[in-house]
Amino acid sequence: MDQSEIDALLAGGGKSPKKPKGGKGSEPDPAPAPPAPQSAAHGEPHKDGSGHVISELDTVTAVTERESNKVMDQLDQISRLVSRQQQLITDMMRHEGAQAQGVQKAIHEVMSASKEIQDKVFEAMDLMQFQDITRQKLERIVHHLRQIHDYIVDLLGTGLKSDAERPSISHTIAQTGTTPDENKAHADAVIEAFKSQKKG
Amino acid sequence: MKILIVDDSSTMRRIIINTLSRIGYTDVVEGENGKNGLEKLGQGGVEMIITDWNMPEMDGLEFVKTVRGQNAAIPILMVTTNAAKEDIVEALQAGVNNYVVKPFTPETLKEKIESLLG
Repeated sequence: MDQSEIDALLAGGGKSPKKPKGGKGSEPDPAPAPPAPQSAAHGEPHKDGSGHVISELDTVTAVTERESNKVMDQLDQISRLVSRQQQLITDMMRHEGAQAQGVQKAIHEVMSASKEIQDKVFEAMDLMQFQDITRQKLERIVHHLRQIHDYIVDLLGTGLKSDAERPSISHTIAQTGTTPDENKAHADAVIEAFKSQKKG
Repeated sequence: MKILIVDDSSTMRRIIINTLSRIGYTDVVEGENGKNGLEKLGQGGVEMIITDWNMPEMDGLEFVKTVRGQNAAIPILMVTTNAAKEDIVEALQAGVNNYVVKPFTPETLKEKIESLLG
């Protein structure tokens, strides 16, 4: 748990999220603090605790985005190293001592394996889309929490309504999985229908 | 070709930039939301826009409507989690040229970009 998460918990007076206890399997706390949520007002805790929950969700979003970018950094670095390796192999292939058939075959195999690694790195990068999808799902939860909060404030005639502006939310995200292009055929069909309707 | 990418998720912007570079488009400019996207667009040179829908300050739909008020020709691709038919139709009516639902594959992004530029 880093400082901003601790601060959010202290401000909200909530329970600490469960974490594996120390020992061999425990991981060190990440050192840098996560970036601030998109609007500082989002995280202001209300006395009834709803602001605390929203603040925690904002923190989760910020932390996952930060950590996802760290994974992307690592993947970028692997990609650069593999490119460098491929360059070295290409240079090696031209070397006089590497012209024997057996050596050339081995070099080609190494090159092919290297290409496979590069493809897997790109695939892993593409899979990081899950972060944005998860973030939007959390945003939808926040939206509903705020609606419930404001309804209760109206009902009781006391308390502060949520005032911070949030991103618009996706109403259909629940039908969206994390399998790429799950909705491609559907979207393409709607586009086609729209275009032919416009033409007609 | 300079492409403007508007998305509030830095991870998603990186993924799109990465995909674009793999298919040969390396000249990109980024915006964090519609408002910021308009500023970047105003700096000139942008020939295509890839935008998200759900963003703070100014969402993608408002952004597209504003852009279309100034520029009727620039190709706009919306890349979003909004998968409902009504959403897709609303985006097309606002002036989006094509639409991709997240998560997408690089092949889909490539196909959509090429169809817009072709």
